[in-house]
Amino acid sequence: MKLGRVLDNDRLFRHCVYPIAFNTKTSSFANQKMWYFKPMADGAIHASLAWERYVPTLEDLHGYGCRLAAGINERKRLRQGTKYREKDRHHYCGAYQVKGKAIRALAFTPELDGIESADIVHQIEAGEIAHVDLRIVLKPGVDEEGTKTAIVDRLWNACSGPLKHTCDCDKDISVHQSSNLGPAPAGKYSDARPRFLRSWRIVRFRLFRWLWINSVPAVLSSPDPRSFSRRQWMKIKFHVCEWLWRHASRN
Amino acid sequence: MALPTYVYMQPVAVLATSDVKETPALNAPLAKNYIKLNSIVPIPAAEIAPLNQVLIKTFSATPVISQPQLEKEYRDLGEALTQMTELDEGSEWGIDPPVYHAACFVAAGLMINSFPAPRIFNHGSKSVVFNWSDKNNNNLYLTVSADRISALVSTPERIKKRLDYSSNELLNYRSLLGSIRSAQLQQPILMLASGTSDPPESVG
Repeated sequence: MKLGRVLDNDRLFRHCVYPIAFNTKTSSFANQKMWYFKPMADGAIHASLAWERYVPTLEDLHGYGCRLAAGINERKRLRQGTKYREKDRHHYCGAYQVKGKAIRALAFTPELDGIESADIVHQIEAGEIAHVDLRIVLKPGVDEEGTKTAIVDRLWNACSGPLKHTCDCDKDISVHQSSNLGPAPAGKYSDARPRFLRSWRIVRFRLFRWLWINSVPAVLSSPDPRSFSRRQWMKIKFHVCEWLWRHASRN
Repeated sequence: MALPTYVYMQPVAVLATSDVKETPALNAPLAKNYIKLNSIVPIPAAEIAPLNQVLIKTFSATPVISQPQLEKEYRDLGEALTQMTELDEGSEWGIDPPVYHAACFVAAGLMINSFPAPRIFNHGSKSVVFNWSDKNNNNLYLTVSADRISALVSTPERIKKRLDYSSNELLNYRSLLGSIRSAQLQQPILMLASGTSDPPESVG
């Protein structure tokens, strides 16, 4: 479901899960493994990020990461059955921040002339309202693999952080790998939002979430919901919430 | 004994997992460097470092690395590459056999020429990326596909250089390694921790 536009100055986060972004032999952080692009049917490549607008606090940001790791473990449990071992579970370690303009700038980098376009699109996925899709279209005939390497390099160098975290469900892990997350090339993360603006955005987000959670049951239990599909109701609901949000604040 | 003028390239040496002490018969100077792929690649004997060379230099002003340590790290690299081929077909983290062969070929050339063992990662089944970095976050990447290699030199600020090599140049690995050396970073490459290579996973 395509939704709002991510602005250049908006901040996005890439979550790191152990062992995906790590070297399992040495437990050292491997920043190159943090970015992985999946090919799409239309030839573009994409990766997932979280949009600060919908994870306005560290609690929200890390909550997304904990659910991400839990989802991976659940799929692993279903796939492995009795072979699944709890001690080998994935665990969320933290996130790195990157700005929207750094991603869009990829398409205008002279050394990356194989990129047709680079954009970030808000796309709710697996119930995660903060999910955005980083989508890069490569020109036909370019060295696709070499270009992906260059993209991974540039994205890492645009990152700041890390924002380390240990989920409640992982407190039993004796040596949590969040301590091994390395410093990002663009420096430490800092929340530059003025305090009043940050507070307002949090209130706005809470209001939005309340509308999101409470409007669907009311719509679906209306007398004649058959004229609209569930998906259409979801779209209407989202746009109503967005409209309310935008008119509540221009920030 | 005259030094051979041909070296048979095969993954066996790169991927060897046993302790080198278990092969005392292989104490001839060049035996450990025999690496085979699917082809016979001529390598002048003068290019091959003698086994008793305890300390070797990598790139221009690089920390020295002992030969056993280098061999161990390349064994780890070989194991990681092998693991990537053993994953289920269609797995996002596996690599295609031609990519594996090309990666072994390049790794063999790097080891024989005493390059520090790289870290590896991939973008899917069509390539393997070898990576070296230094403490200033300068990076050298070799993206190895089945039929081409691309080199990338970058600093935190920008991409400094990109070089592409076709399959023909891949076979002429002397010129390839020469080009890679010419693309070296200005800062010394750090020897990265051993066993830095794992089959990758992703969160999408």
